[in-house]
Amino acid sequence: MTLNHDDWGKVARMMSKRSLWMVHFCTGCGAMEMPPVMTSRYDMERFGMHAMATPRQADVFLVTGYLAVKTLKRVVQVYEQMRDPKYVIGFGSCTINGGMYWDSYNTIKDLSKYIPVDVYIAGCMPRPEAIIDSFLKLMDMIDKGEAIGWKKYHKYYDQYKKNQRMAYAYRLDEVEDIKEDDAK
Amino acid sequence: MMAKELFPEAQELRKGRIRIETIKDKVTEIIKKLKENGYGHFVMLSCVDWIKEGKFELVYQMWSYEYREHVMISIKIAREGDSMVTLRDLFPQIETYEREIHEMFGVNFVGNPRLGEFILEGWPHMPPMRKDFDTEKFVKELYYKIPEVKEE
Amino acid sequence: MVDFFALGEQILVMAFLVTLGYAIGMFFNGFARKITARIHNRVGPPIYQGYIDVFKLFGKKTNISHGWIFDLAALFSIAGITLVFLFLPVAGFSMLSTDGDLFLILYLLAIPALGFALGAGASGNPNAAVGIMRALMTMLAYELPLVMVIVAMMVHYNTTSLAGIVAAQSNMHWAIFLPVFLIGAIVADMALQGMLMEKPFDIPIAPHEIATGPMVEFGGKHLGALMLYKMMGIVVETTLFVDLFLGGGVILSVAQYGWLAYVVNFLVWFGLITFVFFLALLINAVFPRFRIEQALKFYWKYDALVALLILIWIFVEVST
Repeated sequence: MTLNHDDWGKVARMMSKRSLWMVHFCTGCGAMEMPPVMTSRYDMERFGMHAMATPRQADVFLVTGYLAVKTLKRVVQVYEQMRDPKYVIGFGSCTINGGMYWDSYNTIKDLSKYIPVDVYIAGCMPRPEAIIDSFLKLMDMIDKGEAIGWKKYHKYYDQYKKNQRMAYAYRLDEVEDIKEDDAK
Repeated sequence: MMAKELFPEAQELRKGRIRIETIKDKVTEIIKKLKENGYGHFVMLSCVDWIKEGKFELVYQMWSYEYREHVMISIKIAREGDSMVTLRDLFPQIETYEREIHEMFGVNFVGNPRLGEFILEGWPHMPPMRKDFDTEKFVKELYYKIPEVKEE
Repeated sequence: MVDFFALGEQILVMAFLVTLGYAIGMFFNGFARKITARIHNRVGPPIYQGYIDVFKLFGKKTNISHGWIFDLAALFSIAGITLVFLFLPVAGFSMLSTDGDLFLILYLLAIPALGFALGAGASGNPNAAVGIMRALMTMLAYELPLVMVIVAMMVHYNTTSLAGIVAAQSNMHWAIFLPVFLIGAIVADMALQGMLMEKPFDIPIAPHEIATGPMVEFGGKHLGALMLYKMMGIVVETTLFVDLFLGGGVILSVAQYGWLAYVVNFLVWFGLITFVFFLALLINAVFPRFRIEQALKFYWKYDALVALLILIWIFVEVST
């Protein structure tokens, strides 16, 4: 895939990697691992990272743990409210392949089919060290211009939307009469 | 009065744990009587799918703070074409349990006006907690079949 | 005939000072986060974090807007706060100062907050509406004791000009050395805590209750502009405090020492506003948040009562 990076973008990426503001979507059990990361034990503010209250202000979207289909709708809404450039971190095994919910009728198995994920953290649960490591990896990717999930979402928007609709309707054949607030 | 005195047919599983097996027409009467005799806490309503017998077992659980005693009232209804009468007039919280059981097992509670979409949004298939619903097959045919996003 | 050379020189000096003000404001952002982190026994971000944050926010794309009022509101706030900054004597050097400018400053201080309110109102988010209501209530609360103390100072120094008050405090005759204004400074410092929206008076932007209140819909460039406004607000409000009670940081007379006096006075001014802000941060780091009625009660019942006693004291002192 060819995506052009201008020089101004290079400077902007250098700045934005040191100032990642995060909104964490904590419906799964992963929320438990966030307080040590934020507070004095592992202090993520060393890297300029900061937990924000609203998705409008945030750069990084941290999806912690399993997602039911009902939750996925909210995740997509939050993701689309964020401003570009935005990055997604999939947290824990549940976002990779369903984890211990691999045969549950109501949880999605692979988050990257519905929204583009830049970095995954494996484990159930990942330790705070792993979370910090994923942040560093994301910073590295931003610096090199590899964290392009948000561009992918714009480019393959119809594919992502189609997958989301399949999950919302619990059917493989695409359903057109999707509700207006889901499409937003 | 304790449950054993009220209903001699009740079996005592162990101390403080009473089980009453009955038929569905008597449930309203039993629960009303228990409520009047100190069993003021309706704990929960649960459902078990006995697929070989072709029956759903509904278990009403009550607790008395006075006697520290747990009473289970168990009834069985047919899986298909049968219904249960709602008890939301006795304890308002039963309504929520009835809605959940209606959504997950498809049991019809006559007289409950709020039986409809509850936890699942837009679920088009058979109620998912029934034993004849093959979860693994469903998952493999839906979530694992949703295609990866293809990049050119 | 207009003297274009003098005018040009004045404009250049103003531009320099405004840039310096914003630079100091951005420094204060990183400073605040670092100090708070150290109090929490954390390492904290680098001290230049404020510059990075503002730069990053202006580099973000704007894919959502809520109409032109929303777009212009942040600029409105920035313009208002810059104007206030130009009217303040900074280290004894006043740019647009005139007679009676203390009234003007008190009036102008409300303008940026109104701009903020306009933008938040245009965003249509219920959290923003709650936040704005709380912000205006807090403003109403802290202005009563603050204005009473300022009126007491006007009576004492017999001038309504902030530059006049600063001039009267030259040669280290700072107002804070008088016992009555030492109490006045404490009262005004409590009001300053509310002006800076630091805890326990961060009711308008309570991030855990109403998701940063008025700023809830702002992101990217809009949020960057708002952050600039907030940063400049810190400089303006601490400078107002320093001008009133700490002689504006003037320790050398310009007539006597020339350019050296400007440099030294600027450094002293910077040190003093940093100190005042540092005090606010210490309170911020250890206190939880008031509810709105508790804040009103604090300001109107205790703070305003002390301010009233100061006012009476000053009137008695003047009339005898």
